[in-house]
Amino acid sequence: MYGGLIIAAAALATFARVLAMMGLSIVTGWLLGYASLRSRGFESAYIPAVAVLESVPVIGFFPLVLIIFVERIGGPLGVEMAADFLVFDAVVWNIWVGIYQAFKTVPRDLEEVADNYGLGFLGKMRKLYVPYSIPRIAANLFPSFADGLFYIMASEVISVGVHTYEVFGIGTLLTEYVAGGQMAGIYYSLLAIGVGVAGFMTLFRYFAGASVAKYGLDTAAQIRRRERPAPRLGSSAWVTLARPMRRLSRYAASAVLASVARPVRSVSGRAPRLARAAGYAIGIAILGYMIYSSYRLIAAVPAATWSELLSDTPAMLYALAVDYGRVAVITGASFAISVLAGYYLATHVRASAIVIPAVQTIVAFPPPAYFPLIYMATYTYMDALPGGIGAEVYVFILGFLSAFYYVFFSFWMGVQSIPVEFWELMDNYRLGFWDRLRRVVLPATLPYLVSGISSTVNSAWGGLMVGEYWPGIVPGRNLEVNVGLMKLLDVYVSQGYLHRAAWASLLFGAVVAVYSLLFTERLMNLSKSRYVVEEGIFAA
Amino acid sequence: MLQGQDLSFSVGQRVIFDGINIETYKNELVSIIGPSGVGKSTLLRVLGMFVRPTRGRVLLHGEEVTRPTPRIALVHQSIATFPWMTALDNVKLALQGRGLSKEEMEERARMALEVVGLSGFERFYPKEMSGGMRQRVAIARALAGDPYVLLMDEPFVHLDELTAERLRREIYDIFFSEGSTLESVVLVSHNLNEVVELSDRVYAMRGSPARIVGELRIELERPRNQYNPIFSEYVSELYSMLSIGE
Repeated sequence: MYGGLIIAAAALATFARVLAMMGLSIVTGWLLGYASLRSRGFESAYIPAVAVLESVPVIGFFPLVLIIFVERIGGPLGVEMAADFLVFDAVVWNIWVGIYQAFKTVPRDLEEVADNYGLGFLGKMRKLYVPYSIPRIAANLFPSFADGLFYIMASEVISVGVHTYEVFGIGTLLTEYVAGGQMAGIYYSLLAIGVGVAGFMTLFRYFAGASVAKYGLDTAAQIRRRERPAPRLGSSAWVTLARPMRRLSRYAASAVLASVARPVRSVSGRAPRLARAAGYAIGIAILGYMIYSSYRLIAAVPAATWSELLSDTPAMLYALAVDYGRVAVITGASFAISVLAGYYLATHVRASAIVIPAVQTIVAFPPPAYFPLIYMATYTYMDALPGGIGAEVYVFILGFLSAFYYVFFSFWMGVQSIPVEFWELMDNYRLGFWDRLRRVVLPATLPYLVSGISSTVNSAWGGLMVGEYWPGIVPGRNLEVNVGLMKLLDVYVSQGYLHRAAWASLLFGAVVAVYSLLFTERLMNLSKSRYVVEEGIFAA
Repeated sequence: MLQGQDLSFSVGQRVIFDGINIETYKNELVSIIGPSGVGKSTLLRVLGMFVRPTRGRVLLHGEEVTRPTPRIALVHQSIATFPWMTALDNVKLALQGRGLSKEEMEERARMALEVVGLSGFERFYPKEMSGGMRQRVAIARALAGDPYVLLMDEPFVHLDELTAERLRREIYDIFFSEGSTLESVVLVSHNLNEVVELSDRVYAMRGSPARIVGELRIELERPRNQYNPIFSEYVSELYSMLSIGE
């Protein structure tokens, strides 16, 4: 049955989960941000922990969630918490770091005024820190919403062994309709998601503009563009705020702050020695607890299980390497398309004004929701392809749909940030398209590209997780690749081998985190040290 | 040699300037002065066709200019150098697409840097340079492209007074040095002392829509001294041009 009321209620339930987790992220972000201001010890544990945890794609936590929430807590509450946790993990990091950065850059003058009038914790939060963080939060609503929606669609129905756990929501309804071949139900569900996505996007857009107008100090966009209009570049509050990527939103914000060169909080504004010591103590206690828990977990696993896991490890690493190949192809294709399309749109104001908001809305629509329709329409053609090529094509498409827009938008925004003076110089010396790209546009957008590529890589894993093993994607058919760690994870979970799934996800998380910290962060640091386009303009 | 004929520019319904006729001659530095917001920078960009006029046309050596060209080089008010390029690479940008070998490009870029007094700084990045040095890089880049006309939009406004003073003293000789292809310079400024120090001729813009309200030839020996009473008279005359009727 697919009554309109049920579909609407399910869609609302799904959106409510995402919004609730975003709200929880904001409130906890305020508290943690304030704690990091007051305690250097807490801050030095908080920020590296966030950097490591956010570099692990959401799916890396999947088995952990199953063990803790679905198995240990169990029941409807456990399943609900599992789905909520995955959404929370998808939405939280950029909000937390955005708030932390906002708090760290509260102008010293305003801080001194607050001290002058003796504002305490609540007073400072209410009058200073919370309002100051609103534009950053607004900037992060879109990427959080899109990421959260992607994972809620994939996590409302969880199959472990012979058990299937589900929560009420549009993802669950869609799965039922697809399994039952109820096309009308599928279409109405997609329509409900579309209406919700468009509505919330409009709301976020409005909120972003209003928050900058009310709570923002001078923005870099106004400062950089100064008195002259930029004839080829579109700009609006939404343009600078629509950042569908985790790191990019922070990079763009840091560029804003760098150009404004506001004084930031001084160390003397920190808490007294006792509070600092308490912060250190809490940090050490948390670390100690984590080490102790890990030890207990390792000791609790029987030796035979360890032996089994270790013998599986080479196959898991091989499957991970294959997946990295897929991610590389998806990222390469996304990069090539993004550079060409992004450059065109960034240099054609009218096309950009129509295409960009449309793409922003469309990409917020979670691909797992509509992908079965694409599959349904095309699998007869794909079956004609030899070997597993058809499945590979589908995985590529799903990965691409899930991830390409991160690098696309990041590049587009990077092009937007190029000062008008540079465009005039390129015109003046009549640089051709490739010369423009090679000498100016790509270097100028490098920090944005690194952010976008990093987010694309992370999101591509989500696409692979969904696409590499999708039993019953349409009635009577499975989508399945030959080799892939994401497939292994799916298969382990569905067959109830949670210890294997946990081990595979631990290996995956470790490799991805190391890759992120060693490669992405270094590349980001390099790009920030030399390729900051704002530094090309010297204006005393 | 560079002529702006009957130039007009509007933003929407608002006419910024109208009926502007302007001309430069060989080995001449011409300044455009006017109050803030009158459209001086826009007029400069129209002369380089970075911005298209609503009406009128621009001629270089009698031929109409329809799009930006390296023959008319623009030096920005906000000193624009590419942070990921060394000083040498920044200058070499102006030599792209001219069929020069790598060695020739390097040689010419080095020469341009030498002309502006930056020998020995070729491998420095802009971030490692002072504002004055960065502006010299920008000027070297403009000169390396063998322009006939240089358009300068308040080029000293972001420099400290001592650096600006030093650069102003040197710049006329740099522009019209032997071997330079440069034939004229158009400078936009609101600093009347600077204008009298550098210019051979001055156009004054005023009103809404703005028009040329006066033209003054400055006939003073170089180097010019602002404590010279005649210098002060020129400054007063320019001030009068801008304030008539206010």
